[in-house]
Amino acid sequence: MSKFQTSIHEYLETLPLQTFNRLYQKPATCLAIFRLLPPLGKQIIMSSLYVDTPIPVTDMKLWFKESAGLMKQKEAMQRLKALHIFSEERGNYAMNATFLEQFRNALTGGGNSQSFGLATSTPDKHHVDIAFLDDYATKQWEAILHFMVGTTEGRPPCKGVLNLLGRSGLMTGGSDVSSHADSMDARDFASQMARQDFGVPKITHKGFQFLLQDINTQVWAFLLQYLNMAESLNMDLVEVLTFFFQLGSLELGNDYSSETLTPTQTHLLEDLKAYGIVYQRKRGSRRFYPTRLATTLTSGTPVMLGSHTNATKLAAAAAVRKGEEEEGDDHGFIILETNYRLYAYTDSPLQIAVLNLFVHLRDRFPNMVTGVITRDSIRRALTKGITAEQIITYLTAHAHAQMRKHTPVLPLTVVDQIRLWEIEKNRLRPVQSWLYSDFGRQQDFESTLEYASELGVVLWSNQKRRLICITTEGHQAVGSYVRKLIIRQKEQAQQAQQARQQHQQQHVPSIAS
Amino acid sequence: MKDSTINEDDPNLLVIVIDINPFEWEHPSAPLSLNEALQHILAFMNAHLAGRHDNRLAVIASHVGASKFLYPELNGPIPGGRVGTKKDANAYQVFKVVNDAVQSGIAKLLQDPRPALEERDVGSSKIAASLSLGLCYINQALKSDGMGHVRPRILVLTVSPDSSSDYIPIMNCIFSAQKANIPIDVCKIWGKDAVFLQQAAHITEGIYMKPSDPRGLLQILMFSFLPDMYSRNYLYLPGQDQVDFRAACFCHKKIVDIGYVCSVCLSIFCSFSPVCSTCRTKFAFQPLLPSARRLGAKAGASNPGSPRPSTPLPTPS
Repeated sequence: MSKFQTSIHEYLETLPLQTFNRLYQKPATCLAIFRLLPPLGKQIIMSSLYVDTPIPVTDMKLWFKESAGLMKQKEAMQRLKALHIFSEERGNYAMNATFLEQFRNALTGGGNSQSFGLATSTPDKHHVDIAFLDDYATKQWEAILHFMVGTTEGRPPCKGVLNLLGRSGLMTGGSDVSSHADSMDARDFASQMARQDFGVPKITHKGFQFLLQDINTQVWAFLLQYLNMAESLNMDLVEVLTFFFQLGSLELGNDYSSETLTPTQTHLLEDLKAYGIVYQRKRGSRRFYPTRLATTLTSGTPVMLGSHTNATKLAAAAAVRKGEEEEGDDHGFIILETNYRLYAYTDSPLQIAVLNLFVHLRDRFPNMVTGVITRDSIRRALTKGITAEQIITYLTAHAHAQMRKHTPVLPLTVVDQIRLWEIEKNRLRPVQSWLYSDFGRQQDFESTLEYASELGVVLWSNQKRRLICITTEGHQAVGSYVRKLIIRQKEQAQQAQQARQQHQQQHVPSIAS
Repeated sequence: MKDSTINEDDPNLLVIVIDINPFEWEHPSAPLSLNEALQHILAFMNAHLAGRHDNRLAVIASHVGASKFLYPELNGPIPGGRVGTKKDANAYQVFKVVNDAVQSGIAKLLQDPRPALEERDVGSSKIAASLSLGLCYINQALKSDGMGHVRPRILVLTVSPDSSSDYIPIMNCIFSAQKANIPIDVCKIWGKDAVFLQQAAHITEGIYMKPSDPRGLLQILMFSFLPDMYSRNYLYLPGQDQVDFRAACFCHKKIVDIGYVCSVCLSIFCSFSPVCSTCRTKFAFQPLLPSARRLGAKAGASNPGSPRPSTPLPTPS
């Protein structure tokens, strides 16, 4: 399961039952949500779709093999319940009636909801082909990314995009964005950002992480942010979501009529145009084309790869590939050697900027850049909040075809070293503790240490300097033990020197782990 | 090997072979008409396609004396192409393309009476030919899939009785499928158990099922035949208690319980013959049977006159 599915899931699971009941009124939404489920969740729905009576919980358990199967069933049921597709009543599982009806409609093509997009009745005089749409989508989307990394390629994105970038905390207008953007009216913020000079809105830690993700995750991250914003803009959440899911069911290269859309959705169309998710020839045109970004929304396949399923898609993928060559390969251009050298066959300022996040770039040629991964370059990325895992995923995802012949794709030494550099950064870990010092006698120190280690509360100790570090949990017990020692000593020993014991100096030392 | 390599995210390729033998579907005792059954099957196809965005489907009609691809249409317009059917906002486009192709394809096949029906073809469909087509299609699909993640399987929906003349080609298909790790699921919608196909499911680790009530076809399809290879690891699915392993003899295509087997090429014969009709091995002995003299005389008289090639090759169709 890819990341975007997880993120959209998390979002959906926060919605109340009423919202779901409205969402499920559209077969397209039912289908899209169905596709987000784990395989066994899908199977449970399919198995019970044409069973008219509720299914006893014990009966469903019999469908699954022991242990492994039942575990999967539990997982799947949890998801289904969270999405309000199934509910458990008196030992029976019952399927949501709306979902049941509309999902059956989706499978049989019944009903009259028109949720799969109304095609235009007349052919378009200015028909555009798939290659054009791909080009358009890539251009629009990359413009946003370019803006984020601060390259001067292309024109700056429109207000809506800027607003969203600020809102989602991917970029900041110089000051602390989270506190500011919320308090400020969205429009104000956008205009403020637009007024400011190019370089001024700065990319945040979150933004860097965003750049390293695959495009589908990026699009969903954007759309989810849009959903969050929709509530504050008084847009109907259900209509927005329905439209997103509808887009996912449309077919690339076809034009659809925007006449059946609600006012909210028409407004939405305008915004999505800016992200390159849909194409409209001119504002207010009665037809729109979904681009590849839209049609793969619910599929989970890498967007710009094209899949190898059939001839049209192959042709389309070839077209995309051609498009990519023009503006720098989007996929498979990195060669990483065991000596930490990295060669990237790209001339896209965007890709170079992304690489520059964690690679020490050295030379630049017309069609390629070379660099080397060093401790410093990785640490620089780590301080920006990028994780080693993200770097490795990015490198794997964009590995050159030559690299893919090997398993594992990336040289192990480099991968391990990147991880080690990350761990290195996490050497220090603050722990609240109590330091016991100034033990008068060695035997006092030893008995205290023994007592404390029996309790398992010793963090660190030093025999020579008679120091013990005790966790906060153990402080009370050890403290009273030490107090007892002092009292006993006072009673016993006149001739011996008074053991002075200082304790209870609370502070936060750094412990080597 | 299977469990470790099957990934949750692998797309599935399902090849459905539909038996449209009109002799059986139009039989007065048929519990279900072809059109009704087709509604169920179409919903099932959609359910398969709904499962994943990249799930793929191929449909082959197995008619009397012919078998034909219904979807994807090999020479027709490219599936999913823009010049497709008229769009309907109530239906998911992918589903609609498939359903239209299948329905119109079957209608065309049934309207077109086959003039050249051979005598032995009557009464049963070309299941073997359809299986071969399906296997070839899968082979092609696997070859063109660079990632090598597609999980293929075949589902045979049949109503016809076994045709013993099909035995050798069917067995060849079964072994090819077994070798290529392609499970063959079989749903015998009504009638007697299909012996050969039962063996097919058994050998390829597919599912064989004969529903008790064919009118609930969709539920059976959804419940037992929809789970993909990944889900099957976790589900209890209908199994076979008893498999009929009877074979058909190579000489007269009779289904036999006990027969004679050539010790060199393992061809099966219903009666003793001194020369194997397949590999031409000469047997210089008489079988040890009380009535050896009588049998020997008979074998000499009815020496298999029509040797059939039985090298393990899928039959061309």
